[in-house]
Amino acid sequence: MKIEDRLSLLNYKIDKSYAHITVKPDICETCPDHFCTFACPAKCYTLIDAKLNFKYEDCVECGTCVVACAHGSVSWTNSKGAHGVKYKYG
Amino acid sequence: MSEFDAIVVGGGPAGTSAAMRLAANKLNVLLVEKADPPGSKNVSGGVLWGNSLSGVMPDWEKTAPLERYVKSKGIGFLTKDSSIDINFRSTKFNETKTGYTVLRTKLDQFLNKKAKDAGVTVVTGVTVDRLAFEGKKVVGVEQDGDIITSDAVILAEGANPRVAIDSGIRPPLKDEDVAIGVKEVIKLPEKTINDRFNLREKEGFAGEYVLGFLDGGVEAGGFLYTNKDSISLGVVISMKHLRENNKTYSYDIVEQFKNHPSIAPLLEDGKVDEYSARMVQEGGLASIPKLYGNGYMIAGDAAGFSFSNGLILQGMNYAIASGIAAADTVVEAKAGSGISEQSLSRYEEKLMNSFVLRDMHTFKGIGDITWGSLIHQKMPGVLEKVMLGLFMEDGEPKKHVNQIVKEALKSSGLKSSKLLLEGYRMYKRM
Ligand SMILES: Cc1cc2nc3c(=O)[nH]c(=O)nc-3n(C[C@H](O)[C@H](O)[C@H](O)COP(=O)(O)OP(=O)(O)OC[C@H]3O[C@@H](n4cnc5c(N)ncnc54)[C@H](O)[C@@H]3O)c2cc1C
Ligand code: SF4
Ligand code: SF4
Repeated sequence: MKIEDRLSLLNYKIDKSYAHITVKPDICETCPDHFCTFACPAKCYTLIDAKLNFKYEDCVECGTCVVACAHGSVSWTNSKGAHGVKYKYG
Repeated sequence: MSEFDAIVVGGGPAGTSAAMRLAANKLNVLLVEKADPPGSKNVSGGVLWGNSLSGVMPDWEKTAPLERYVKSKGIGFLTKDSSIDINFRSTKFNETKTGYTVLRTKLDQFLNKKAKDAGVTVVTGVTVDRLAFEGKKVVGVEQDGDIITSDAVILAEGANPRVAIDSGIRPPLKDEDVAIGVKEVIKLPEKTINDRFNLREKEGFAGEYVLGFLDGGVEAGGFLYTNKDSISLGVVISMKHLRENNKTYSYDIVEQFKNHPSIAPLLEDGKVDEYSARMVQEGGLASIPKLYGNGYMIAGDAAGFSFSNGLILQGMNYAIASGIAAADTVVEAKAGSGISEQSLSRYEEKLMNSFVLRDMHTFKGIGDITWGSLIHQKMPGVLEKVMLGLFMEDGEPKKHVNQIVKEALKSSGLKSSKLLLEGYRMYKRM
């Protein structure tokens, strides 16, 4: 099953006004490994034309990327106001 | 005067247990949970092992939303083509239940409701940003610029402890501290599950697997647990080894596990109903931060409490037991000399006297074994060769077992002296 299809099973209350995770593009620009693209289970980090693209909307708040990025690019905060992923089972 | 005797951050097993125990001792408690409904952001495998919940809820086995009790425990080594399984089933598990499968959204909602019923002020959908300090003393929590005051704070915020890290009371997590947990819930009719796993009503299966077929040095363990009418299945991936590999996607590994020839038939016609992920604490003793200070304590996953030896993965019972220990420490401190770093140091003593820190000390360094190439890469292949040597009838003359083992070791590149040494280490540490 493709990851996109698995993610489409999830419910989110998306926070349009606050991105709880951000990356610093200048750091990603020179990143030697892009390990975030392999580590993130929700495929929020992808390479488009060799450039890192990050979208917080699909994030399941697992916490992986802040450890995975060894270059200090990821700023990770908790989602607020019950926004973000809402599991049925967990 | 503080607004609350204690504030608990996080309404998972650690936080709700702490809050219930505090309220049972007539303290004025605030429990802050970021998800709404509570539990809707939490992920476990999950088997709730042991009887820790009885500390706050003596009748939990009758009242809590439990899926099935563990009647059958499996351990499997998977290679590309084969699986070598041990399945332990016992009627002893009917009398004394050792574990129950649970789904966290249901369990956590139940625990939060119980906390509310016990007199805890539960607020959900609210995220704590940081601890509030007066000098070096923690005086409450900060949320959206507001400070809510309390005599003590118990941080039970789970696997990614932002409040503790951002407040400067624990270091950020490193590769060695965590693994990536990725899970799916697969719907199947209750009867199909009973038939496939040889279970009767309420009986459950909990299996742990070494995924010896992963390429490129990736190391991961698999789990498969039966719920009433679904299967919880997932993988726990070593961050360190995934980084070294740097070409395998975490979300593909769970698919590889599902598609394994000995797992796929168990899931046939099942419908994937949910995908989820969460970090798992894996670092053992080396990952545990300072557990208390003036006005605060850290409990559960936020403190790195968990146990995994490849045969079992436990965190919820450690969370519950540590939450209760933290609550008792507050109760005693308030009845005695008051809250101070000194009085809260009793928390660590309590944990040392319980399985929480005892286990962490007993199994110090076990991660070197459970996340080692012997178990993940060599052993499954050797076992497969031995089994094929024993049971594959290929018309050739039969060999003695010791000859088969020798040849299997040889083709794996494992020297028997090394195997002996590693085996001895494993035996000692497990
Ligand atoms: C894939 C996987 C499988 C697992 N399998 C098992 C298993 O089979 N058996 C087992 O015993 N354990 C298992 N575990 C481990 C277990 O899930 C954890 O050990 C357990 O959940 C820890 O409980 P906790 O209360 O410390 O933290 P959590 O359960 O994570 O609860 C923390 C709570 O705090 C809330 N929170 C966080 N930050 C804030 C904030 N700033 N403000 C307000 N609220 C906040 C969160 O929303 C959450 O509700 C597994 C874990 C994973 C990821
Ligand atoms: S987030 Fe980190 S790992 Fe990912 S591309 Fe940027 S610097 Fe590299
Ligand atoms: S927290 Fe997890 S899901 Fe969200 S972006 Fe980071 S790695 Fe991906």
